[in-house]
Amino acid sequence: MSEDFSDNKTIQAQSSETISGGGSGITPDMDYVRPAEVGEQDLYHGHSFITKWIFCQDAKVIGVQYFLLATFTGIIGLILSWLMRLQLGFPGLAPFMTAEHYYQFVTMHGMIMVVYFLTALFLGGFGNYLIPLMVGARDMVFPYLNMVSFWSFFVAVAVLLASFFVPGGPTGSGWTLYPPQAILEGTPGSGWGIMLMCISLILFVAGFTMGGLNYLITVLQARTRGMTLMRMPLTVWGIFTATVLAMLAFPALLVGALMMSLDNVLGTSFFMPTILKAGEVLEYGGGSPILFQHLFWFFGHPEVYIVALPAFGIISDLISVHARKNIFGYRMMVWAIVGIGALSFFVWAHHMYVSGMNPWFGFFFATTTLIIAVPTAMKVYNWILTLWRGNIRLNTVMLWCLGFIVTFVNGGITGIFLGNVSVDVPLSDTYFVIAHFHMVMGIAPLMVIMGAVYHWFPLVAGRFLDEKLGKWHFWLTFLGAYSIYFPMHYLGFIGVPRRYFEMYDSPYVASAVGMNEFISLAAFIVGAAQFILIYNIIKTLKTGKPAGHNPWQACSLEWLTPTVPPEHGNWGDRLPTVHRWAYDYSVPGAKEDFITQTTPPSEVAHTKVEKT
Amino acid sequence: MSDIKIEGYEFKPGFKGMAKDTGSDQTMFKGVHWGKAMMWIFLLSDTFIFSCFLISYMKGRGSTIIDWPNPSEVFGLHVFGVDVPLLLIAIMTFVLITSSGTMALAVKYGYEKNKKMCGWLILATAIGGLTFVGMQAFEWGKLIHEGVRPWENPFGAPQFGSFFFMITGFHGTHVSIGVIFLFIYAYKTFAGHYDEGKRGWFTTMKGDYVEIEILGLYWHFVDLVWVFIFAFFYLW
Amino acid sequence: MHVGIIFFLVILGSVLFHIFTPWYWTDVASNWGGMDDTITLTFWIGGGVFIAVCLFMVYCVFKFSYKKDRKAEYKPEDKKLEKILTWATTLGVAALLAPGLIIWNQYVNVPKNAIEIDVMAWQWGWQYRLPGEDGKLGTTKVVNINDNNPFGINLDDPFGNDDVMIQSDVINLENNRPVKILLRSVDVLHNWYVPQFRAKMDAVPGIVTYYWFEPNKTGEFEVLCAEYCGVGHYAMRGGVEVQDKQDYDNWLQQQETFSDLIAKQKILENEKTKLAKK
Repeated sequence: MSEDFSDNKTIQAQSSETISGGGSGITPDMDYVRPAEVGEQDLYHGHSFITKWIFCQDAKVIGVQYFLLATFTGIIGLILSWLMRLQLGFPGLAPFMTAEHYYQFVTMHGMIMVVYFLTALFLGGFGNYLIPLMVGARDMVFPYLNMVSFWSFFVAVAVLLASFFVPGGPTGSGWTLYPPQAILEGTPGSGWGIMLMCISLILFVAGFTMGGLNYLITVLQARTRGMTLMRMPLTVWGIFTATVLAMLAFPALLVGALMMSLDNVLGTSFFMPTILKAGEVLEYGGGSPILFQHLFWFFGHPEVYIVALPAFGIISDLISVHARKNIFGYRMMVWAIVGIGALSFFVWAHHMYVSGMNPWFGFFFATTTLIIAVPTAMKVYNWILTLWRGNIRLNTVMLWCLGFIVTFVNGGITGIFLGNVSVDVPLSDTYFVIAHFHMVMGIAPLMVIMGAVYHWFPLVAGRFLDEKLGKWHFWLTFLGAYSIYFPMHYLGFIGVPRRYFEMYDSPYVASAVGMNEFISLAAFIVGAAQFILIYNIIKTLKTGKPAGHNPWQACSLEWLTPTVPPEHGNWGDRLPTVHRWAYDYSVPGAKEDFITQTTPPSEVAHTKVEKT
Repeated sequence: MSDIKIEGYEFKPGFKGMAKDTGSDQTMFKGVHWGKAMMWIFLLSDTFIFSCFLISYMKGRGSTIIDWPNPSEVFGLHVFGVDVPLLLIAIMTFVLITSSGTMALAVKYGYEKNKKMCGWLILATAIGGLTFVGMQAFEWGKLIHEGVRPWENPFGAPQFGSFFFMITGFHGTHVSIGVIFLFIYAYKTFAGHYDEGKRGWFTTMKGDYVEIEILGLYWHFVDLVWVFIFAFFYLW
Repeated sequence: MHVGIIFFLVILGSVLFHIFTPWYWTDVASNWGGMDDTITLTFWIGGGVFIAVCLFMVYCVFKFSYKKDRKAEYKPEDKKLEKILTWATTLGVAALLAPGLIIWNQYVNVPKNAIEIDVMAWQWGWQYRLPGEDGKLGTTKVVNINDNNPFGINLDDPFGNDDVMIQSDVINLENNRPVKILLRSVDVLHNWYVPQFRAKMDAVPGIVTYYWFEPNKTGEFEVLCAEYCGVGHYAMRGGVEVQDKQDYDNWLQQQETFSDLIAKQKILENEKTKLAKK
């Protein structure tokens, strides 16, 4: 078996001899980077198809696997949303659409999109692919564990989808799975469905923990020479912080899911008070339904940032590259990510202002929630200030970035409504909430994902995606999604409660029928537009324009691999050495408008580099 | 996995120096093995799991309508005609803490490449863990025999049974997993896998005595959690 | 060029939509007009920031789109600008938070003269109980609930006997008199919500939750369940009729009390036993 392993290579410390070229201010040791303190990583190179592509230990392949599986589940979530919109816009059109099915689709759509699509895609997909490349590692530090992580996710998805085929169907308790109704009759899927949901979530958490440990240790302990924390691209900062949140927030979900399973199967009463059902008192008693809500939202709120922080990081990089300008206020951006992450553990009960918890908590949680608005606003300012006096390439990637800014600011500001406790009272549990979170953690992260796909596809596949199709894809998605969710806020103002199978005949609700039809039509178009991307990818894989090395003229490490797409081990014989941050665009005096992270200072001694 | 040197790195004094060291290139925790760092972070995550359990327990115990049973009666043993409260638990706790001691010694002998001592001490730890699990099974049996179930409890609030079986069960699972790994590691130590750097069957990574320390971290953690469970269930 | 124009039109469209929308609040019918005011304030500040940020972005797109011979500005940081922006944002956020907290303080402190109403929810319906002449509601237990005791009142609680029971999903309220809604549920979560009153709170099985409001418009309003409670959630409606004092008193006179109900049942039982004896 030993031939499967690369020989341990030693890294030569870069000596001052390598300095070349002349110019003012060059001192002999200005290119000095201290020698490696971490030895060469021992990698398993697969030879058969199975070890290379299926049970693969290469983080890049695992990243693509995560990406594909998450996208597959995401498409199921998309189809479920179509069915829901069909019912809401045109009730009675689909004969199979009963209230049971509607609520099952609502639940599965929510859970799939939040956990199995966005979380898996950002952390499992982009995290696996980009972290080792961006910090200059050969691979994730525990490749085997990384592989098991993906396959746990695979099983979790399989269990989740299996619930469509069990007696009673999937759970229809809403994605928040609130007890007691999640495990009582009167809610679809109260037996098998909720059980499989809990099992699937537990598997997901277990699998994610394995992956998460990898991401964290790779960032903390396996960076290449010269890669200090404050030189890391913001993508890595975002994914790293999100992973920390996940490691600390998922335990609450795990415990909640476990306790609910026991309530369901063994008849314990963790969350179950005395309940009267159809004239009979059930054999439960003494439990607290609100305890579950606390556990759920202690997970649920950080979960929002688990999705948002990688998106923040990635968008910063995309804007910077395509505006040909350094990200404005890098240090502020890093601290904002870390600060938002830390604060996100102290705001969870803003989801519970009207849940019946002690109302005095409202003061505390409203305050912490609005404090979070400050670092978030700083990030927005820095994105637009990065555009200011930039040299903006208006390509597809940049379009997604601009779309992100509009939708994120919109959704962020409606978040201030909902976070401010007494403003939340009339709006909570209405369509305003739906509009808010879809705008801020549905559409905005989706914009980032799409931008990231168009940006990094040339690295992954070696070819550009088609720009023209990309622009159609963007405009249909952006304009469509905006016209779904912007008017939806006004349904919330009217007071239409969420999770209504039919709007019924209340006079003020009836006035919104036309809007519902319009929203549904827009939703069908936006959903269909996503298939443009799939077509684009299939088409481009064969006939796309070859990208070559560093096609976007970016500074960060992932573009500087010796081969494109990068091979297993990423860096060939020699690990890169980093001399500067990832954002040296348009430095005055430099020949080109970017200086890569590996360019030694002596080569650019004549330029006015301010920050390394 | 990786051998670590920190040549060429000088730690800087003061708080600012510490910040600089933390943010410096390549590693944040200088000279810390990847696996060890991983275990610490995993344990942090696991701490949150147990915290969620224990906080839920406190909330559940605080809000039941029926009174909570008196622990010194429920957990008491009737030995030689005398009722001794908490006897079994005292022994269990003693055994588990002792096994932590043998684990620590095993790590020491491991780093001294003393294969024999190390192996025997790991085995002793495993047997300590096994004894603990066995006694826990005995206690479960006793409670079940007396009519305590996850869903009901003749001594008082039904939540007592629910929380007790769930939390001690979850902890017992941790101990059992630890015991399994201890036996595997004992075998690997005796077989000399750590001396020759033999590759693991699953992970294909080279063996090293540091693995024993990593397992030791886990074992001490499980032990520490037990102290909390002990305090919350038996002393409160 | 067209990119900037389309984004500009999106912003303009949003503003126009807000101005001309036919969908907006129902007229407030309780004392919680302050919530509307806070929303309006948040709307102006938030909307202003949204428009400013987006217009700035559109301007950048127009002004700084790619030209081959231009180089972007190189300016990694501007500490002064960042400081100004941080403090300005903090100030704006504080200005939004303060009124929110003031109103929440009113929301959690119920006025002393509020009349207590027990709202009992189940899958899928409502019923109501008012305190009788003693002004106090009798205590309840879920296990007591049966056909003879629809609210599960503890029989040994003397306060329960004169409680007024309204076994209908419509309740009448007196105009301009604060009510404290005491919510309880016998099965799952529910939420008693009248959009015109703005206020809401979940009904949680096992505990009693509350909120208060003071209706200030007479008329009929619809009650919606605002917390997902199973397949019948969307159809779980009720009603409120706000009346002037005189009408309300008349209505209250006609309602049955718990002791009436017990007496009626005793008569019924007696008749039954008589029938059986015959």
